[in-house]
Amino acid sequence: MLAQLLVSGFAQGCLYALVALAMTVVYRATTVVNFGHGDLVMAGAFCVYVLVVLAGADFFLSAALAVVLLFALGWAIQAGLIRPILAGPHLSLAMMAIAVGYALRGGARVLWGREVLPFPKVFPQGIIKLGPVILSPSDLIVAGVVAATLAVLAFVFLATPVGKTAQAVFQSPRGAALVGIDVGAFHRTMWGIGAAMAALGGILIAPITLLYPDMAASTLIRGFAAMTLGGFGSLPGAVLGGLLLGVGELLVGAYVSTKLIDITAYLIIILVLLLRPSGLLGRPAVVRV
Amino acid sequence: MTGTAGSGTDRASFAASGRVFWLLPLALLGLPLVIGSYVQYIVNLTLVYVLVGVGFNVVLGNLGQLAFANAAFFGIGAYATGTLMYHLKAPFPLALCAGALAGGLAGALVALPALRGIRAFYLAIMTLAFGELMRWIYINADAVTLGSMGMQVPRPTLFGYVLVTDVDKYYVFLAVVTLLVAATANLLRSRVGRAFTAIRDNELAAASIGIPTARYMVLAFAWSGVVVGTAGALYAALVRHVSPEAFNLLELILHFGIVMVGGLASLAGSILGAAVLTAAPEMFRDLPGYEELLIAILMVAVLLLMPKGLASLLARASPLFRQRYFRD
Repeated sequence: MLAQLLVSGFAQGCLYALVALAMTVVYRATTVVNFGHGDLVMAGAFCVYVLVVLAGADFFLSAALAVVLLFALGWAIQAGLIRPILAGPHLSLAMMAIAVGYALRGGARVLWGREVLPFPKVFPQGIIKLGPVILSPSDLIVAGVVAATLAVLAFVFLATPVGKTAQAVFQSPRGAALVGIDVGAFHRTMWGIGAAMAALGGILIAPITLLYPDMAASTLIRGFAAMTLGGFGSLPGAVLGGLLLGVGELLVGAYVSTKLIDITAYLIIILVLLLRPSGLLGRPAVVRV
Repeated sequence: MTGTAGSGTDRASFAASGRVFWLLPLALLGLPLVIGSYVQYIVNLTLVYVLVGVGFNVVLGNLGQLAFANAAFFGIGAYATGTLMYHLKAPFPLALCAGALAGGLAGALVALPALRGIRAFYLAIMTLAFGELMRWIYINADAVTLGSMGMQVPRPTLFGYVLVTDVDKYYVFLAVVTLLVAATANLLRSRVGRAFTAIRDNELAAASIGIPTARYMVLAFAWSGVVVGTAGALYAALVRHVSPEAFNLLELILHFGIVMVGGLASLAGSILGAAVLTAAPEMFRDLPGYEELLIAILMVAVLLLMPKGLASLLARASPLFRQRYFRD
């Protein structure tokens, strides 16, 4: 029982980790917290739905196309909407992210109304038995994709100049520009990558949760919970937080009450911020006086 | 005239000029004579959202804190009022006060994490979680809240007189809204309001010149809660159905949009924003999605073209307004 819960929670947590990871990449690279990320996840899943169900395209081709499309969307959002107000207060940036997400949600509702759509069953069905633990192939695929994404990100941020560029831009965009970094292009690319990762998350989440315009809210808050738990802005923290959240939800559901599954993420956010705002792996924020 | 309140006569004329603004609620007294019943309902709803915007703006615009618990305050006010009227058959004025009080208490509660040094995005995320947590409570405390189906609020009564039509409600709403907006305007123009602004602009500097920032922060959140809680109470009386779905994330985004489209830290902006964002979506009520697109486009347009919101249009048009209510 416990082994099964841990494994299933781990699989669920991989999805949360992917969402949190994408938000962390955008935050780390551009200091903007993307409150519209949940809607980008939804948009990615809808892209695949349109291509596979309505246009009859191959699933893997559609998924790749959706990732590319969302990359372009993220790039365009930064270039057209975020950049002009980058010098403004946090509040404006938060509002812009929310407005973009709201527009995506409205667009999805215009096209599909209020119905909940079943996502095509693209992953192989059936079960895999590992001793007492039962797994579905989609669990393995999700875990594999998340692990691969993490490996790529770790490589890019730790072993290439991108990591140092991100650090420089995060600390001082002006200083980074002075030493010859194209800050604008860097921001655009990172928004694109964040949105592409959102598409990846959407493609993996939608077969599990069904597809509807309002799927963003729970996705967003779980992503925030994972980020907060692991330490805001820490890439390994986002993964650790996501996995712990996934496992925690199932443990709470099994041993306390199933009603509490929905609020585990909210309680984690509130408790972590009250007791240890820097999370598990984050560094305490230093206030400059 | 450069200084706004230099000498004694200046101060007197400045105060006198402010009385012009009382003409607005007076003129609105005659409104039900010229509009139909459906429009009357929309006008009442607008009044509710005027309070929502004005209350939210105190925290967001004047205090400068990124707190997203507004839909929670709104819901707590509505549920407090609804519960008292449904279970205990309390008269409406009493339930209204209870709604305001519950909202104020919730506001003070939300201010506590802010006192622990939680700011900016952390505060936003935490208050977001608080709002969703409240929604879970509405659904699961079904002995009191009747769960996700929501509760049917009885007709509001005022001193034995039952408020049946929307016109009856309109006059009660207008009185309550005028009172609270005037009170908020006075609060923001007083020493307290200046302390809010000081905290927004530089919290450390404010503390260093002897402003008790913690006390003012709790006060701002509590007052915001009172105003928005009252809006919730009016909402319960107007719609007469209180359910968890009315206070979800979409509702919060609408509140946020009202403040931002109207103009941060502008009282008149919130009133304008409430009018625009309540009336405009009604045109699309049968077309799902267009309402959200419209609000999103308005928000983006304001951010890119008019960072100080619709209030800056008003300020350009009216010198009197600019002098009193619009500062950079």
